[in-house]
Amino acid sequence: MSTQEAQSILLTHSHPQQSFRLLELSPELEQLLSSKDAPAEQFPHLFVGSTNTTSFELKSPSAALAQAVADPSAPEYVNLCTQTQTYRILQVQSSNSIHMLQPSLGHISRADIKVVEEEAGETGALNLPDKAMTTIAKCASTLGLHTPSGGFSAIPFLEKSLRLYDRRSDDDDADDGDVAMGDTSCGGQMGLLEVQRLREGVCADIPVSTAQCEDGWTELCAFVHREQDEVACCRPSARTRLNVWKRMVEGAILQGIDLEKQFLVGDLWKSVLDDDDTSALPFPRNLLEAVVRRLCALDQRPPLADEMKWASFDKLDCTRWVGETYLAATAPTPSSAIGRNEFLRAWKDCLPESWRGEAALSKLTDGAYKSPDPTAIHFVEASQRQQTSKAASAGSTTASNAKVTRNWHELLKSRR
Amino acid sequence: MPSIKLHPQSSSPAKTSSPANNPLPPLLQTPTGLALLELQGTINVPTTEHDPADIYKPQSTDDTPAFETPLGKLMFPDYSAHTPNDSAWMKRAYLYVGRYQRMTGEVKKLPRPIAVLRKRSEAEGEELEVVEIVRYKLFFKNRPEPVNDV
Repeated sequence: MSTQEAQSILLTHSHPQQSFRLLELSPELEQLLSSKDAPAEQFPHLFVGSTNTTSFELKSPSAALAQAVADPSAPEYVNLCTQTQTYRILQVQSSNSIHMLQPSLGHISRADIKVVEEEAGETGALNLPDKAMTTIAKCASTLGLHTPSGGFSAIPFLEKSLRLYDRRSDDDDADDGDVAMGDTSCGGQMGLLEVQRLREGVCADIPVSTAQCEDGWTELCAFVHREQDEVACCRPSARTRLNVWKRMVEGAILQGIDLEKQFLVGDLWKSVLDDDDTSALPFPRNLLEAVVRRLCALDQRPPLADEMKWASFDKLDCTRWVGETYLAATAPTPSSAIGRNEFLRAWKDCLPESWRGEAALSKLTDGAYKSPDPTAIHFVEASQRQQTSKAASAGSTTASNAKVTRNWHELLKSRR
Repeated sequence: MPSIKLHPQSSSPAKTSSPANNPLPPLLQTPTGLALLELQGTINVPTTEHDPADIYKPQSTDDTPAFETPLGKLMFPDYSAHTPNDSAWMKRAYLYVGRYQRMTGEVKKLPRPIAVLRKRSEAEGEELEVVEIVRYKLFFKNRPEPVNDV
């Protein structure tokens, strides 16, 4: 027999067994995980402000968030997060058993070898124990990674975990003035580090990567607000954001600040303040900075951990944001739809004089608005937009999911 | 506790075993010596009272001495150390179970590399680490056939 010549390797089963998990990697994760250098050294741009080289986390939402932001496809889940990316972990069951092998450590009783080789001792057909492999663990399933077609966003989670900040700056209540005083005395002292600590506390419960959390934070214009002794992470309502924008445009015109060119955020803040009455703030400075950060041209935005010193606005993005914010503030639901012409006029009135020509329905994000009839218009929340697009592509995604996971149950589900 | 850290493969040299005493063909060898074996079916080993039912139980504790039970033999009939670049040998591998049964399989490149994760023992709280990234597996998808003792 030709196999007689071949090298044979004794296979044994080790006791006690160890425990491992097997995780199928995507090419980019393979590169990140196998790099012998700490990832922080290899990809410094991804780890700005972070001295921790641990860049991977398995995250699941906190119990409260999991209930508030239910995922219809998976009641419980774990996401693998790198600094910038998020992957859903799927457990792939297999009817085959997968064993981990390792070179034998030689704890074999020679008497037992008779089970596999009658005369092992004499003929030397097996050179024991250095020619042996041993199974040290059995894995019933592997873990696969999957990114849904829509990707991952922190926004639904942030909307649930941040406090809604909705206040009219022209409310001249006495106690509002006190609050504003609190802002001047404490808000300015709140260090960037403390703000960062609070933000990280919020993001710890959100099962997406840090970069995606920070994107969502910026998108929502979230800010840290101190009111008397209470510190809270807030997201401004559409009405509040629109108000901040209007004050900013007024102030910029009065002080001659060109929003399209680089300006000092401090100057803009001063322009917003009332000249006669310096004790009453229209809104917290942190809120203005959050809105400025959102509107600042992408390539000029400093990292979220750094102070917003300089900014310049991108006309197109800014115009779209103003239009959508106005619509969200005045016509958030089908029942509160407003006239299209009325909307366009109001939108233009919110913009600096030279930008008026930019306002047009085609500039709004796809799906951001709906028209119940040809003359009316109302806003569509981002979460609702995703649902409609998801429903449309649901059929194709299940099939492709099944291919990715190689899971028979998934594959056959759509054919039933 | 919504977050568990996952540490990338450490850059320190593998200490589990040196490749020198790894009997597998070099293609299947990894720095830590870990390799994957996939079987259609299971290996049944008599259970003992110390059997670790909990998958997160730390490896070999002092009160249960480690021991190995021989199962069979692995063979790569077409492999020759003299032609290491020829991959034709991968098409055939034998796994003898006991003395009278043999499974035929192959060495397969994994469609996606697999990271072997393990709970970090020295960490407080739950932390995982990548111990190895495996790119090939030994795959026996056929039933055992009866053979003469070899």
